[in-house]
Amino acid sequence: MLVKIVMELEDVPGQLLKALEPISRLGGNIQSIMHQRERKTPLGRIPVMLVFEVGDRARLNRILAALRARGVRITQLGEREGAARTTALLIGPHTDIRDTIDRLDALRGVRVSDLSLAMGGLGQESAARMTITTDDEKRASLAVSNLQRIAARKKLLLITSLEAG
Amino acid sequence: MRLVLVGFGNLGRGLSRALIQKASFLRRSHGLIPRVVAAVDEFGAAVDEKGLNLTRLLRVAGKAGTVAAYKGGKRGKFALQVIEGVEADVVYELTPTNIKTGEPGLTHIKRAMRAGKHVITSNKGPLVVAFRELDSLARRCGVEFRYSASVGGAVPLVGLAKELLAGNEIREIRGVLNGTTNYILTRMSREGAPFEVVLREAQELGLAEKDPTLDIEGIDTASKITILANSLLGMNARLKDVKVAGITRVRPEAIRLAQEAGQTIKLIGIAKRGSLEVGPKLVPLGHPLAVGGTLNAVTFELDLAREISITGFGAGPRETSSSLLGDLIDIHRTLGG
Ligand SMILES: NC(=O)c1ccc[n+]([C@@H]2O[C@H](COP(=O)([O-])OP(=O)(O)OC[C@H]3O[C@@H](n4cnc5c(N)ncnc54)[C@H](OP(=O)(O)O)[C@@H]3O)[C@@H](O)[C@H]2O)c1
Repeated sequence: MLVKIVMELEDVPGQLLKALEPISRLGGNIQSIMHQRERKTPLGRIPVMLVFEVGDRARLNRILAALRARGVRITQLGEREGAARTTALLIGPHTDIRDTIDRLDALRGVRVSDLSLAMGGLGQESAARMTITTDDEKRASLAVSNLQRIAARKKLLLITSLEAG
Repeated sequence: MRLVLVGFGNLGRGLSRALIQKASFLRRSHGLIPRVVAAVDEFGAAVDEKGLNLTRLLRVAGKAGTVAAYKGGKRGKFALQVIEGVEADVVYELTPTNIKTGEPGLTHIKRAMRAGKHVITSNKGPLVVAFRELDSLARRCGVEFRYSASVGGAVPLVGLAKELLAGNEIREIRGVLNGTTNYILTRMSREGAPFEVVLREAQELGLAEKDPTLDIEGIDTASKITILANSLLGMNARLKDVKVAGITRVRPEAIRLAQEAGQTIKLIGIAKRGSLEVGPKLVPLGHPLAVGGTLNAVTFELDLAREISITGFGAGPRETSSSLLGDLIDIHRTLGG
């Protein structure tokens, strides 16, 4: 799931790193960081908006606990509404997997957030697994139908998730 | 009830054994006294209007390779003659499947219905080629028509959907409907063994045909999806309406990638109004359709009950005789027995 938090950091060097470390260590995948300097608090702290992806609620809770333990003040916490993830496998020659990913990334609200390749033996096809993260379910099915078209054109076997409809 | 068995292969024999073993149970629990008055195979026929001795029939047919070896049996092509000529209540059509023409089963079933006989079949061919035609012919002829064993083997899909879930609208049916491919996928996922090796092994175990094309190309599953679409979703679907992909390109490495993401790969057939599809799909480990070995599994998506899943053996003579016998008891009850 995609999580958005706003935390207040003291305006001294090293503060951001201190906050980011537990997120990546506990499996969060940071997507964007935005300093809101114009909203500096009366006590001189700077709000930082952070968007990251995390596997499940339990991991998120661990991350939040670690942040609080470091004295990071979290002022807002929101799950990005309806952030959806779907996994797909592609089987075939993967000489231009980058192109497939670029085509998906070019869609608004769609991002290939994970890629794993298993090369086949000599003369055999390879397999690629990708995780596609989208802002909502509608974009997820749009991404899947785009992937279907790409796979058909490149003669790849596409294996989508049973739940992907 | 007087029965005619057309086809005395795996299922004809499996049914005969079940009839022997369950004779007193059927009488006691269902008031049903089945009597096989004729058995036919490709090479001959055995007829006795008082009832064949099934133990003897199994023995002599097992030895000679044809039911014609039974006392008084005849060699030659007799299926139609027996179906039309021998006095009987129910014809079991258990001949090999041909999904292109439906024959010889299609003609057997039509002739049996026109001769006023109820029909029970396990043969997908006639159902894939001419479901609507057979369904309405049965009605016009005033006979019962059952085909539980044709899809899912022992798993009572048709009865579950038509009887027990009758209050629901079925939105979608999806499932693992081919034991051979499920065995191959399971072995590849557990041992990482290559496709060709596992396929050869499945053939040696008798789980896959010498020509495994229909199974591994997904066509057998597509046939079953066609039957389910017609019989349970009220569609008028043909085999060519099903978008089909098989498992021949699925390698152990692909399954490993799936497993690393908490999923596995299954050959899934999906039937919903407006879209029929067969292909390998990612299924979460622990999902009702993530069954191993030769098992079949089906999920019905319903308006009231939401989801119902069922699992069991999709083939095997003893297992499938459960459906063949169930159909007989169902007809017996329908007729007020
Ligand atoms: N086996 C299973 O577990 C299973 C499960 C579900 C559904 N089914 C379906 O049920 C049907 C029967 O399966 P099976 O495994 O019993 O097949 P099988 O062992 O090949 O037996 C077929 C039988 O039909 C006979 N036959 C062939 N052509 C005939 C004709 N023109 N007239 C009369 N008899 C004829 C064969 O006779 P000869 O031996 O003399 O050639 C044989 O006795 C198939 O359609 C199959 O797809 C099978």
